[in-house]
Amino acid sequence: MNNSNESAEVCLVDDDPSVLRSMQYLLASDGLAVHAFNKAEDFLAHVAKQHVPVVVLDIWMEKVTGLEVLARLCALSPKTRVIVITARDDLAARATAMAIGPVAFFIKPFNDEKFLTAVRDALAQAKNAQRLLR
Amino acid sequence: MSERGNIDQGQQEKEEPFYAGQTRVLEMVAANAPLPEILTNLVLLMEAQAEGMLCSILVLTADGMRVRHGAAPSLPKAYVKAVNGAPIGPRNGSCGTAMYLKRPVVVTDVMTDPLWADYRDLAEICGLRACWSTPIFSHQGDVIGSFAMYRQEQRGPNAEEAHLTQIATHIAGIAIERQRVQETLRERDARINLAAESADLAFWVIYPEQNTAWMSDKGRKIYGFDSKLPLTRDLICSRVHPDERAAVHAAFDRACASHGIFESEHRLVLPYGKTRWVIVRGRCLEDEHGSLLELIGVTIDVSAQKQSDLQLQIQREELAHLNRVALMGEMTASVAHELNQPLTAIANNAAAARRFLERGNIDPALLQQLLQDMVADSQRAGEVIRGIRALVRKDKSVVRSVLNLNAVIADTLRLVSSDVLLRESVVTTEMDHNLPQVEAAPVQIQQVLLNLIMNALDAVEALPPAERRIIVTTRSLSGDSAEVAVRDFGAGLPKDRPQKVFDHFFSTKQTGMGMGLTIVRSIIEMHGGTISAENAPDRGARFFFRLPAARGDSKSQAA
Repeated sequence: MNNSNESAEVCLVDDDPSVLRSMQYLLASDGLAVHAFNKAEDFLAHVAKQHVPVVVLDIWMEKVTGLEVLARLCALSPKTRVIVITARDDLAARATAMAIGPVAFFIKPFNDEKFLTAVRDALAQAKNAQRLLR
Repeated sequence: MSERGNIDQGQQEKEEPFYAGQTRVLEMVAANAPLPEILTNLVLLMEAQAEGMLCSILVLTADGMRVRHGAAPSLPKAYVKAVNGAPIGPRNGSCGTAMYLKRPVVVTDVMTDPLWADYRDLAEICGLRACWSTPIFSHQGDVIGSFAMYRQEQRGPNAEEAHLTQIATHIAGIAIERQRVQETLRERDARINLAAESADLAFWVIYPEQNTAWMSDKGRKIYGFDSKLPLTRDLICSRVHPDERAAVHAAFDRACASHGIFESEHRLVLPYGKTRWVIVRGRCLEDEHGSLLELIGVTIDVSAQKQSDLQLQIQREELAHLNRVALMGEMTASVAHELNQPLTAIANNAAAARRFLERGNIDPALLQQLLQDMVADSQRAGEVIRGIRALVRKDKSVVRSVLNLNAVIADTLRLVSSDVLLRESVVTTEMDHNLPQVEAAPVQIQQVLLNLIMNALDAVEALPPAERRIIVTTRSLSGDSAEVAVRDFGAGLPKDRPQKVFDHFFSTKQTGMGMGLTIVRSIIEMHGGTISAENAPDRGARFFFRLPAARGDSKSQAA
């Protein structure tokens, strides 16, 4: 449906600008195209229009809580694979993550190798699913 | 007749020693001899004037209700003892009745007279038959005692005896009245001294004209003066701490010049270096021509209070410190988050740089950008840690500077931002951009804000997420002070006494110590501000504090 370039793009949502930028660099250093969002609202607006195979989502952001974003994401684009990142390791964060059923869950700061592998795996899964559909 | 002639002759012989006796008694009065001694001498003198005469003097108690033994050297002890303390009244023997009726009472036969009904048996045992009593008056005309003559036979007084009675009551009146005045003075002195001693109060009088001064014993103790040392104003002022001496002198001069009042709180330095805190109050007294007579005043030793005030201050600071540490514990989520963000960015940037380098196609500008970001994030992490240190550190946390409360609020909200998120609450701000600056210790104000915001978060916890709102407002109060309000939409404060939340150990929370708001209030008050709590009109609580504008930052300057 969408062109392949668009679908290969990884979306990135984090309200902390410096974290967002560093993740952009990290994904770029591995040759991945990134579409970064500083606000969850902007990302949700994007999802409504475009297919997003993989999103890396910070679940504790100001104004919108992780659960809210996820509920709306599921409604808009149930096939989007979600990689959750969070700066806190506590029960509430884990419970939220469990509720979403993400493909991967990372606590900041995280190991770059594992993170990039998870992103690549998620992209591959999305691609396979797409192919099966065709 | 011959008997009569003997008396006349004897009268003349007796006159000399009788006058001498009167003079002796009056001298005793003048010399402040003890009253019983004076009265006994007087009675003996009277008894010596008439054969077979027994005399007594009774003194009326100050309340005017009872008689007290004065002198009766010749009456039987048992009789004296029985009469002592008897009430006065219309039928109370000769003396009790005379004092009651304020006129002489002559009982020629105690065995038959109705006035003696209660005392008849006693009189009979003691062999007394007649008793003539005359009240003794003060020179204001109040009854102060009675003089009585007793006979062992049944008869009334003759002219000579009446004359003797006149002399006796006159002299006894002088003696008793004088003693009464002295007693009253002594009592008043004792009372004043007692009150003064128990209040750590010293009295003093300075006579500016004569350059002399007087001070009560307690005062000499407070100022460390020997009880015999003659005092002057300069000597008293020499005890004042050197730093404050000039000001005290000036205040004295002002009071003397204006015939006004003198008020000062200062330190005294005693010999051997001991320091005392005193409050001194005095006022000028003028003579009838309006010229300055004396400066009279009191000195209160408040060293003990000062000491405990200091101790309280130390305890308060300790508590505030513990509270900050406890708050930090509560805020670990925020702290972890605050630190994790820059650390994540640094780790990511470093990993990215390594990967670009491994691929060998890195643009130097990009590498520079990555390194620059890493430096910036390291600094950010450092600032977070500095912020925590400042919050937990004991010393220097009270250093004040001129600050904008809007900025402190923004900083504080940043610190709690993830707690707010975690609790799925929303904090909004309504800032007055013309807020005057205040002089305050930023860490302490941050602590106040943290407490209020954390409390507000607790207050809205039970509500559905959409209603978990907190509003932080600032406004300028006619440019003289800045007000900060933290308003929540929770259950509100106890209806009867919203201010109770500031009390020690008052807590509506299961886990609360009830110390937070007490410390909050003491911090605000230390900054010369006020804090208050009220229930918001619709629902929830509103806490607001006001701090005075920093000097030179009133609205007029800001405008």
